[in-house]
Amino acid sequence: MSRETELRRQPPAAADTLLSVRDLSTRFFTEEGQVNAAEGVSFDVRDNEILGIVGESGSGKSVTALSLIDLVESPGRVTSGEVWYRDDDLAEEYRDDDSVAVDGDHVDLRTVSERARRALRGPSFSMIFQDPMSSFNPSLTVGEQIAEAVEVQRRARANPRSTRSRTQGYGFGRFFVDTLVPGRGYVKTESRERAVDLLEQVGIPDPAERAEEYPNQFSGGMLQRAMIAQALAGEPDLLIADEPTTALDVTIQAQILNLLRDIQEERGMSIILITHDLGVIARMCDRVCVMYAGEVVERGTLDDVFENPVHPYTQGLLGSIPDLQDPQPRLQPIEGNVPSLLDDEMGDRCYFADRCPKAMEACLETPSERPADGSGEHQARCVLTDREYSPAEALSEDYFEDVGADGNGGETGGDGNE
Amino acid sequence: MVSPRVIRNLKKEFRNSLLPKIGLLLVVVIILVAVFAPLIAPHDPTAQNLNQTELPPLGFTKTTNETTAQLVDGEIQTVTNVTTIDAKLSHPLGTDGLGRDMLSRVIYGARTSLMVGVLGTILAVLVGVPVGLVAGYSGGTVDDTLMRIADVSLAFPSLVLAVALIGLWGRATVPIPDPFVAAGLASGMPTSTTLPITVVIVVGLVNWVWFARVARGEALSLRQQEYVKAARALGAGDVRVIGRHVLPNAMTPIIVLGTVQIAAIILLESALSFLGFSGTTLSWGFDISQGQDYVSSGQWWIATMPGVAIMLSVIGINLVGDWFRDALDPDIEGEGGT
Repeated sequence: MSRETELRRQPPAAADTLLSVRDLSTRFFTEEGQVNAAEGVSFDVRDNEILGIVGESGSGKSVTALSLIDLVESPGRVTSGEVWYRDDDLAEEYRDDDSVAVDGDHVDLRTVSERARRALRGPSFSMIFQDPMSSFNPSLTVGEQIAEAVEVQRRARANPRSTRSRTQGYGFGRFFVDTLVPGRGYVKTESRERAVDLLEQVGIPDPAERAEEYPNQFSGGMLQRAMIAQALAGEPDLLIADEPTTALDVTIQAQILNLLRDIQEERGMSIILITHDLGVIARMCDRVCVMYAGEVVERGTLDDVFENPVHPYTQGLLGSIPDLQDPQPRLQPIEGNVPSLLDDEMGDRCYFADRCPKAMEACLETPSERPADGSGEHQARCVLTDREYSPAEALSEDYFEDVGADGNGGETGGDGNE
Repeated sequence: MVSPRVIRNLKKEFRNSLLPKIGLLLVVVIILVAVFAPLIAPHDPTAQNLNQTELPPLGFTKTTNETTAQLVDGEIQTVTNVTTIDAKLSHPLGTDGLGRDMLSRVIYGARTSLMVGVLGTILAVLVGVPVGLVAGYSGGTVDDTLMRIADVSLAFPSLVLAVALIGLWGRATVPIPDPFVAAGLASGMPTSTTLPITVVIVVGLVNWVWFARVARGEALSLRQQEYVKAARALGAGDVRVIGRHVLPNAMTPIIVLGTVQIAAIILLESALSFLGFSGTTLSWGFDISQGQDYVSSGQWWIATMPGVAIMLSVIGINLVGDWFRDALDPDIEGEGGT
């Protein structure tokens, strides 16, 4: 009962769109069944902006990000969708290739080869992860690992879009020699110097000395800075930050966010910031996507989403953060849990309907993304964009408990729907 | 690969326990003996001396009863002459049935055993580790295919497989010139050492599976590590990720297994030599098989001396392996196939 979208090319209209994602679906084919981790996801990333993706755990934020850079692990697979990326060289290269969709300077990355997509990691896209402690190889010094990333990019640039350049001299033979002969490095001196530069740029004191240290000698915040330095090695157009501050304590969080903001402004790059923290979104982002159960349920500018939320889920999220001006009212949590995302158990309806305080009979059909009030970009996947809530059509409160077979009723077990 | 922490653990373990000291001592002695064999050995291990066969080792005497019939006063009497043969200082461990010096043979036997043990293990590592890493890192069909092949080769009894392969390929040997003799430092010694190359290849191929399994297990867990994902997100290719991030972090259990495997391969080589599949006659296993005929007639030392040498070297190497395991990786189970 997955929501198939017919193949239609939707190249981005605006030239300042760096990345345009359309109807991207990623599924995991597990033994329990097909899991629709990301379903029909669409959003745009403009030049020089920070796009926030917010949602609960398991709402498909990280999977969406990994899908962009083609790092979804088996048994997962990107099953459909378009990822339009603006790169004039790439567009020129593929303009005469019938199998690749090119529109102006934009190329649909889902139609190019896996090898070409991988070549974009580093110089075009880069990613930083949640836990800096586990994002560094414990057996190499921090400087060495950043130099390693520099080296990868240097080789990639010398021989663009070729995977061969990345493995040259890195076969097992070279590896054994390097392991057995002490003092032989994998990376050139220039790459090491560049690594120290990068460490300095992300505000690490004594970068030359810190570069010689191992990850366990770094604090979490310093390591996240080093991670950012590593991600900057390829001078990417787009940095994907997957919950970059979740593992850090609050004071360090602010420093890292400021650093990201500064780097974004300095370099004029774009950032996709994934978080479950609405405060981070409000502080950092120009535009926002709200994800729920693998779908983007609402997107728009920061004002659209924070001031005029249409989707009851967005309203629920905003209602569940404390208001410092008016701390009196009790916080309003969203009742229930995120659905399991198993294809068999996903009804053909709005996935939020079973938790939605405004569920109506119209919600038993799959809602499409439709424009909402506010700026021209404000869209929501909810019937309330077009109409008012009418209590007369409301579903009874125990509707989803009764029709367990249809929706994700009580028999799913697992997380236990309350 | 070898971080300061590893060295610290090794030292700590070495200080705190007696067994690593014994193991290291045994291994160092055996290596020195094997390397400097021509300088240490008192005789040419292959020189026969039919006047001095079956001499006992120092501290023992050999008695032979010779019964002769004599005619004394018109009656036939049997007279038993008991002759006692003393040990000779020049042959501290005695001599074998052809009068070859046992001490020299044991000393030279260490060369064969160590060469086969080390080279066979290196071959097993070179085959098994890349297979295991690729299988574990790739997952899916590649993993299934490679590991089913490993399972199938594991299902054969290794000795039977080794015998079958040697039967198939013959007993090729490579003479390795002895540098000490070539340099004129040792006279009257064999000018070359025979390396049974088929045996090396066979023991390597019989034992690669263990390395493949350990490497695969490590790769399987390491590929889930965030830093592997991070390296890929930054554009590193598969070879680089395996070489830089997976292999170095998988080295510890591989080193531990490698040490234990040297001992297992020495045993396998001895078994093959005992069965006559070696290709060299200077081997502990070969001497045991030669000596077994003499055990029942009292000349126990011909089979025992090389047996003790095998025992000491295997114990020594295993103790060093245990030391590595305790210091480097407390989790790993000591698995070794013979």
